[in-house]
Amino acid sequence: MRRLIVSIYKEFLLLIRDIEGIALLFLMPITLVIVITLIQDRSFKNVFESKIEVVIIDSDSDSLGFSFRKGIKQSQIFNVTEYISQDSVSLDKARQEVAEGKYQIGIYIPEHTTQKIKAKAIHLVREQLPFSINTDKETAISPAIIILFFDPITKESFKNLAKSKLTEFAAQTETQIIYETYSRVIDALTNQSSQVNYPGEPIIRFDEVMVSEYTSGITPNTVQHNVPAWTIFGMFLICIPIAGNIIKERNDGCLARLKTLPISYLTIITGKLIVFIIICLIQALLIILIGMYLMPLMDMPKLQVTNWLTLFFITLASSFAATGYGIVIGTWASTQTQASIFGSVSTVILAAIGGVWIPVTVMPDVLRSVSEISPMNWSIQGYYSVFLRSVTLIELLPQITKLMIFYACCTLLSLFFRKYQANK
Amino acid sequence: MTNSNILEIHNLTKYYKGKVEPAVDNLSLNIFKGEIFGLLGPNGAGKTTTISILCSLLKPSSGKIIVAGLDLNHHLNEIKSRIGVVAQDIALYDKLTAYENLYYFGRLYNVDKHTLNHKIDFFLDRLRLKNYKNQKIRNFSGGMKRRINLIAGVLHDPEIIFLDEPTAGIDVQTRSVIRDFLLELKSKDTTLIYTSHLIDDAQKLCDRIGIIDYGKLITIGSPGQLIEEQMDCNSLEDVLLVLTGRNLREE
Repeated sequence: MRRLIVSIYKEFLLLIRDIEGIALLFLMPITLVIVITLIQDRSFKNVFESKIEVVIIDSDSDSLGFSFRKGIKQSQIFNVTEYISQDSVSLDKARQEVAEGKYQIGIYIPEHTTQKIKAKAIHLVREQLPFSINTDKETAISPAIIILFFDPITKESFKNLAKSKLTEFAAQTETQIIYETYSRVIDALTNQSSQVNYPGEPIIRFDEVMVSEYTSGITPNTVQHNVPAWTIFGMFLICIPIAGNIIKERNDGCLARLKTLPISYLTIITGKLIVFIIICLIQALLIILIGMYLMPLMDMPKLQVTNWLTLFFITLASSFAATGYGIVIGTWASTQTQASIFGSVSTVILAAIGGVWIPVTVMPDVLRSVSEISPMNWSIQGYYSVFLRSVTLIELLPQITKLMIFYACCTLLSLFFRKYQANK
Repeated sequence: MTNSNILEIHNLTKYYKGKVEPAVDNLSLNIFKGEIFGLLGPNGAGKTTTISILCSLLKPSSGKIIVAGLDLNHHLNEIKSRIGVVAQDIALYDKLTAYENLYYFGRLYNVDKHTLNHKIDFFLDRLRLKNYKNQKIRNFSGGMKRRINLIAGVLHDPEIIFLDEPTAGIDVQTRSVIRDFLLELKSKDTTLIYTSHLIDDAQKLCDRIGIIDYGKLITIGSPGQLIEEQMDCNSLEDVLLVLTGRNLREE
């Protein structure tokens, strides 16, 4: 124990005397989390936060055009600009503006669209009745067409979302017209004026409830993703200074001296492990505090922490995994260059497949399966569970166990490399 | 010096992976308690390999080593605490001060804080480094680093000290200080096993010298004896050249 304490003290002194190294250890992940969160903020925001710029050219100027515009305006996902005009100039202008990217979607409601829908509704009602009635004059029944045009760079998923919303408005308007037509027919049959208005409220309503009483109710956003993601990335990036520390110790001959001393290699690496785990924990705490207090000042969502205990344990397990990874690289690599290149590239790959850059849920199936082998994925899943699902410590055990097994494997591997080198 | 063995080497052999020739070839040797024993030979003769095996840095391919009556294979940790190693490389942390380096290594040898602090002060003073106690190693000259390197290996009063080229690359003055210091250790009945290319140093310091080449022990004896045994040799350097030849060696 005495030897371990003195080893920790030595590692601590070595670390605090490398000011540039410490600055990099803290500044790099902090910079990454701020920059990446700002960049990803827009694409990560859900539809209620990020509005779709829409231009409407309403040549119908009737109830469809009116209710369509009203529905779109009331919806929180569109930012609407209107041209109420029957000339082709407005249409051409709107088309050009969409093509130039000023708007993401253009909606053109042609002349007589309402009339066409009404005619279609009357036709439908007539077909349902066993006798013929006199209503409005029948017009030729051709489908009502609403024309959409999109900015060429609009993503397919965005288009589908917009189309789905517009279909919803169209269906509502269509239902209203059919309802009103039926009302008029009934009035005609009964010679009464019912004065029944179409109920604006939908008949079916969706209520969202939490899947368990522990669910936090916090929605995923760019901060909830990026803070844990880049905390993990920063932790794993610590493999470079750890490996550098081990290689320097070996190249300077200090490790050879230590081998001649009555101290086990496990004690030596445990000393390093403890110091670098403390660094990881401080690093994580800093980034979490940035998520909680700095991000909101930058017009980004606040990181919401509901359970500090589970957060501490997943961070601790992640720190063990990251530090163990650094130790195995340091034991295996023979030069600083090898360790730096392998350490940084492998961390980037593990981060990419682990869901640090983009969440695993939006990855292709193949990558989603591959991500299962990344310790960063286990870690990020653990953080999601803590931040978004408010899991208990017991429920977090699978992720913690995986990370600790990864650490144990790294330690065993580094002991193996060490033995292999000694037997050369 | 007594004639009781402190170190016994029996049929020591070491093959490096991928090499056909052994680096150490069936070497047998006894070293007496309290003597300074020099291991001399050309580059690649097997000196450093032998020393590395003796201080447990390398594993032998075969052979038996008894240190202070203990088998190296079975009592490694106990032996480690009874030996001191002064390697050829300056094995110090350059971001730590002289004191911090010595404190770290001393504590790993389990020397208690009070004794350790006293010893650090004593040795720094003895090797004329007292004023540099709290300076970082990175600011030290080569000679100063060598002296700290030496102190780090003797803080725990080892019974045997292995010294691999302890005076390499330093000036005459520092060599003289180190030589005196080693003789002082010998006077306290410490055994020193010493390798060097500096024949003059070896001749002045060593009670006995073993000359090895191609991993084999060629001869052993006191410097005077070795010179006497070889016709037309006036110095240990002549003896070495006669016994190991004048051909240049690969490392």
